Amino acid sequence: MAREKVGALIMLMFSIAYGLLATRIPLTFLAQQETFTPRTMPYALAVIGAVMSLAILVLPTTDEEGKHGLGKETAGMDWRTAIFLIGLMFAYGLTMKWLGFILASIFFLFIGFWILGERRWLLMLFTCIPLVLVLWVIMSSLLGVYIAPGEIFYQLGIL
Amino acid sequence: MWEGMISGMATGITTTLIPINIAMVLFGCFSGSLIGMLPGLGPITAVALMIPVTYGLEPTTGMVLLAGVYYGAIFGGSTSSILINAPGEAATVATAIDGYPLARQGYPGKALAIAAYSSFSGGTIAVVLLMFFAPMLASVAKSFQSADYFALMILGLTAVSAFAGRGRVLKALLMVVLGLMLATVGTDQTSGVQRFTFGSLELLDGIEFLLLAMATFALTEALLLVLKRDPSSDSFKPKTIGFKSLKVTGKEFKLIAPSVLRSSLLGFFIGVLPGAGATLGSFMSYGMERNLAPPEEQKKFGKGSLRGLAAPETGNNAASSGSFVPLLTLGIPGSGTTAVMLGALIAYGIEPGPRMFVERPDVFWGVIMSMYLGNVFLLILNLPLIPYFARLLAIPRNLMVPIILFFSLMGVYLVTFNDFDIMMMVFFCIAALAFRLMNFPMAPLLLGFILGGLMEDNLRRSLMIYDESMSFMWERPITLVINVCTIFILSLPLIRSMLTKAKDTR
Repeated sequence: MAREKVGALIMLMFSIAYGLLATRIPLTFLAQQETFTPRTMPYALAVIGAVMSLAILVLPTTDEEGKHGLGKETAGMDWRTAIFLIGLMFAYGLTMKWLGFILASIFFLFIGFWILGERRWLLMLFTCIPLVLVLWVIMSSLLGVYIAPGEIFYQLGIL
Repeated sequence: MWEGMISGMATGITTTLIPINIAMVLFGCFSGSLIGMLPGLGPITAVALMIPVTYGLEPTTGMVLLAGVYYGAIFGGSTSSILINAPGEAATVATAIDGYPLARQGYPGKALAIAAYSSFSGGTIAVVLLMFFAPMLASVAKSFQSADYFALMILGLTAVSAFAGRGRVLKALLMVVLGLMLATVGTDQTSGVQRFTFGSLELLDGIEFLLLAMATFALTEALLLVLKRDPSSDSFKPKTIGFKSLKVTGKEFKLIAPSVLRSSLLGFFIGVLPGAGATLGSFMSYGMERNLAPPEEQKKFGKGSLRGLAAPETGNNAASSGSFVPLLTLGIPGSGTTAVMLGALIAYGIEPGPRMFVERPDVFWGVIMSMYLGNVFLLILNLPLIPYFARLLAIPRNLMVPIILFFSLMGVYLVTFNDFDIMMMVFFCIAALAFRLMNFPMAPLLLGFILGGLMEDNLRRSLMIYDESMSFMWERPITLVINVCTIFILSLPLIRSMLTKAKDTR
């Protein structure tokens, strides 16, 4: 299956789901009397989205690049590293509040370098620590933005 | 009109010459060049990455900075195209056709210098044109009503899709629809009703524009660099580019001068078209020069022709300036990058369009006049720094990718201080990555998302004015003209394919 057809299929399902969810948008009594309600635009978009997706699915693919199969196009890609990096980004979001900006960012960069195959420890440390600290100083001291410390510091009694 | 223009120019000059604005033009050009030079990162990413920095600034200063980043990034993209044949984005692909062979022949300095002079000339000529055309269009647009704006937004969204390329129109339109769908998430402005929030407090205000821009461009580009393992982005051993090698002779200047002038005009007018942008500007300028060149010169195209290098470089910079005309006067972005800038303007509480020309002349003229300064800075700052900038390409991908990811995530977090936004960014990044791999363009999505709220608002108002009838689409002459343009643009691919078939049968 051409890769653009896979995308169109996903968009078709998304448009249907979006349209169904639009029926659940609450309407006030006054809104029910009007022609243009908060549901109008979503309904129109769901219909247009579904029609366009169907058109891509049914019509022949003219874009040469879109004709390739998804498997062929993604073969040989470094999925392992990409998945690790996505996991790292999730972890960064989860630990930000707990560890605070400085620690979470240093860990994020350090582990990111490691995932990508960097093994020069000193280079990794001397890149991530100054970078994060300089940014923190710029934000908190120069621009006056308050960045809350991590909860761990309160739990450990440091702050 | 002339009096207004002269007083506007005076306002613009006064605004631009404030020390903080001069510093921001300088900083914008410098940082834009640096970011644009990194393989895989284009002007959209560069502008998106800089938006968090502008939140603490005055709207004019912020816009001046973003404009500097924009043309700095276009220039930076040319550097990586010429040196390592790795264009940062589509607008600099045509530069690589002759720039890279010229660098391979042992003239990297000359190629970079011609790119710098051409960018400067294209940018400067286009800003002069912008100065005349923008106020003219803005004064016409003052009579626009909600119906016209709604029609204009449809035109802008259609044009972006129509220029997406052969066989990609429907895909681009579908991405516009997806962007419009995402724009409906949050509290409806008129009724106060929640839509698609799933009971989440974080979604009450809708999806943050910056978050979506970073996720769909900066994060996705960085992950694509990892996935594709592009060897050109892995390692670049910078050759020593001395100052002497940057010299361009008088004969060479004479050779490229007519090309630069022609490409500036063509690039500007292509940039003015909503949706066309710098990519089309550079390719059409290249094509025009190749067709106009004498047979002997034509043979050199693709093998290191100076004219072949100067034309797209001039064309993309002129088109970048031209794309500010619809942005500043109508509030309709001419390209993906100006769409991001439109989002920034809206975040400042400024509604772009003809009223901005009257209500915020400081922003309108400040941005235009700062472009003069930006072009001069780009030349006098970047030309001597080219040899040093080139060394940036030597930073290994192992270090570069996590740093890009970090700046993108941090850029959003330090504006909202909400860790839920980081999660949402990652989610959108995965979705955008999937769509990119399925060959769907992302710029139309962003454009749809940014214009979604305004579009719904204008449609609602038009329906109220016209007694809930869609007759406004053909009853108002301006709306009708805009709609005819939309239909024409939409039917362009069809006309093109019919013409090709007719040609083939002949």
